[in-house]
Amino acid sequence: MLKVSHLKKIYPKSDRVAVDDISFELRPGEIFGFLGQNGAGKSTTIKCLTGILPFDSGTIEICGYDIVKEPIKAKMNMGYVPDNHSVYEKLTGREYVNYVADLYKVSSELRKERMDRYAKLFRLEFAMDKQIKSYSHGMKQKICIIAALIHEPKLWVLDEPMMGLDPQSTAEIIAHMREHCAKGNTVFFSSHNLDLVKKLCHRVAIVNEGHMLDLIDLADNEENKNNLEEKFFRITGTYDERLFEDYVAQESADMRPDLPASAERAEETAEETHEDAPAEETTGKAEEPEALSAEDMIPDEKEGETPAEE
Amino acid sequence: MLKDVSFTSVRTLFRLDLKSRFGTTHKRGVKYRLSQAMNVIFFLAVYAVLLLGMYYLTNIFVERSHLRLEFLVIISMATILIASVVATGNVIKNLYQNGDNELLLRFPVSGKEILLSKSIYCFLHNLVVCTLMMLPLYVTFGAVTKAPVGDYFSYIGVVLLSSLVPFFIANIIAVPVMKLMNAVKNKFVLVLIITIILLCLAFIIYLVSLGNVLTYMRDSKQSIFSPEMIARYKRFAEGAYPFRWYAELINGRRYGSLTGGALALRFLYIALMTAALGVAAYFITGHEYYKTILYGIQSQKATVGRKIKDKQRSVVHALLDKEFFLILRSFNYSFQYLAMAFAAPIMVFFCNRLAATMGTETVGAAIMPGINMMVLVIFVAVTVSFASTCISREGGCFYFTKVMPVSFRTQILVKFLLYSIVATLSVAISSIISGAYYTSDAGGHALTPVDAAAIWGIGEIVVLSLTALCMAADIKSPTFNVSGDGELVSANKNVALALVLGIFIAIVFGVVIMVCNFLPISIGGKVFSSQGNLGNVYLLLTGVSLIVLALSMLALFKGLDKRYLDIVP
Repeated sequence: MLKVSHLKKIYPKSDRVAVDDISFELRPGEIFGFLGQNGAGKSTTIKCLTGILPFDSGTIEICGYDIVKEPIKAKMNMGYVPDNHSVYEKLTGREYVNYVADLYKVSSELRKERMDRYAKLFRLEFAMDKQIKSYSHGMKQKICIIAALIHEPKLWVLDEPMMGLDPQSTAEIIAHMREHCAKGNTVFFSSHNLDLVKKLCHRVAIVNEGHMLDLIDLADNEENKNNLEEKFFRITGTYDERLFEDYVAQESADMRPDLPASAERAEETAEETHEDAPAEETTGKAEEPEALSAEDMIPDEKEGETPAEE
Repeated sequence: MLKDVSFTSVRTLFRLDLKSRFGTTHKRGVKYRLSQAMNVIFFLAVYAVLLLGMYYLTNIFVERSHLRLEFLVIISMATILIASVVATGNVIKNLYQNGDNELLLRFPVSGKEILLSKSIYCFLHNLVVCTLMMLPLYVTFGAVTKAPVGDYFSYIGVVLLSSLVPFFIANIIAVPVMKLMNAVKNKFVLVLIITIILLCLAFIIYLVSLGNVLTYMRDSKQSIFSPEMIARYKRFAEGAYPFRWYAELINGRRYGSLTGGALALRFLYIALMTAALGVAAYFITGHEYYKTILYGIQSQKATVGRKIKDKQRSVVHALLDKEFFLILRSFNYSFQYLAMAFAAPIMVFFCNRLAATMGTETVGAAIMPGINMMVLVIFVAVTVSFASTCISREGGCFYFTKVMPVSFRTQILVKFLLYSIVATLSVAISSIISGAYYTSDAGGHALTPVDAAAIWGIGEIVVLSLTALCMAADIKSPTFNVSGDGELVSANKNVALALVLGIFIAIVFGVVIMVCNFLPISIGGKVFSSQGNLGNVYLLLTGVSLIVLALSMLALFKGLDKRYLDIVP
């Protein structure tokens, strides 16, 4: 489905090798995680394999098509969700998805069925005919996902897809990743969320400073699953026993600090102090009726004009 | 209202505002200072030209037509109205639409303090605008009429008094104007049509005024206005209150035979009117400010929707649609490009007419083909320069142009196609209007049909070449400096380059045609060109244009894939 061989990328006017000799191959029906710290080379690798960045050496094949020699055929089989959720904000959601569908030559019937299905799945039906500039961060991310899926790509590439999403949307995307794979397609995504990767991925690659340091099988290997965090910290050179124990503890236990015993009393005291203070000493000028408690001053928003759900 | 206001907070907010506008925390380099100095020099040069124009305008009214008080009425009306428009825009922008409202409301400062600090800025801005606009006019009037020194002090007083009115009017009408603008801002075609009409009107008024000034400069004895026109001005000025009060306050004693008591009464009228406007502005702003900015913060992202059918289009159709709608739905882009392209025929026609009037009388009718060519290419260059942001305008979405399964060549071809359609249409309409006029009796047969056809043809080739060069320049060095909603923050250096190149071609082609129409040229004993016989010149220029077009297309498409792939935002 995706074959990356000896990929090497050096940015112009830079001595640093951003990606150095990375090779891996993705199988049909697989969810593949790409882990690494910030600046490890994850996004650069993804940008190379999506055709955004040129690379210095190596080969990338998508569904058997070389991204350099046959870019159009290779891209036809891929859907990409960027990390910055950039979209044409002057278009409506429907116009944008239709535009993408046209470029991927999706028929009218198919796109209609898929658009309706995805809009419903991601609870975006009410906003499809509104300009994207009125969308929230999460809604933009969702419209990017719908656009990337409108042609049902064999390879679905996502760059840190869960960033800024609400829990329900995250759950929906995870569910759809699984569904996409169940059809024999492949999902490739980068993430910082070790717990998510551990639960979702069949395999995971760990990159650090441009090198791929390990390729871990998680599907049939409980030990690998259990040790993923420790491996990640050790491989990336960030392992510190105390910090790691804290991390594991946070993952497994309730870390909420206890409220002080006198907390209630402290709150009451604070309220009393506030009430006793002379008007000019209360710095809460924003509490003036004009500035804050002015709900009745805000004109009622018309139905459907709510800019964002989040 | 002011009892709860901390003036320390107001001062801090005001200083913060000034610092965010003009301040800088680090030293700028020589290049920055040079560009700032150039900006100042450019501003002063433009202002000097405007002052010169004002001087001639004053002379036309005051010396030639003896419309002294009437002139004062007209300038006080025009300046107050213009200042009101500027102030309204400024109040809307700073008080209601400024993005920092949301930020400031989080600080421990009250809405009243924010309003006061912003109002101080708006007032000072208005004062500077009014002073720069009104004072030179009054001073010029004083100089032309040889007014005594005391009058100059009255000019300053009237300027200060007049400057209050636009500020108060702006505060009264800002919210309704803003609501009106919000109501029509998503009517993209309507906005475009209004913009084109306003652009054409402004240009026509400018050129007609310029024509009058030039006529005046040519013949200092000739009167600009007919007796009927003078009578109409006088009738208008008699009833043009409250503006007449300002004029009488300045020169009522000298030209209106008013006594001291009558002048005091005029001052009282103005003071009462200004006070009434001030009180109204105070209450309206106080009442509207909080709910408007809160509503603005709540609904600033709200936009209108548009329903379309999920219907498959061809790739080229989809790319064309997207490119066009992104331009149409941005006020900046549609003004820079579509409005300019559609207004160009009117601009070219009036510019040609002015140049014809001046050029024919000073040099001779033989200048006309060259002038037509030059004017056409200059306006075309202004329109086409928009193509030099074809890649930069993609902004954050540039990545998608690389991910989509469409070759870079096709994408660039589609952009080229759109710009070419708009530009060739603009050139065609411009050429047809000017050609039809100047080959007719009305235009004095200044052009032959061959001239008109050749200018059109060469203009079309030049427009395609310029489009290709502009796009090639942006592919070579795009600047993805976009604002929140994906629009370019400012034009990049490619736009300036495109304009310079267009003006250069316009001058070279125009001068060649002018010279060849004046001086008979023979090559090897054979006449190459003579007056009225420019066929060979047009053939030569067509050949040169075609070579430039071929080179431009080569510059755009040769090695395009690699150059495009190498673009990294």
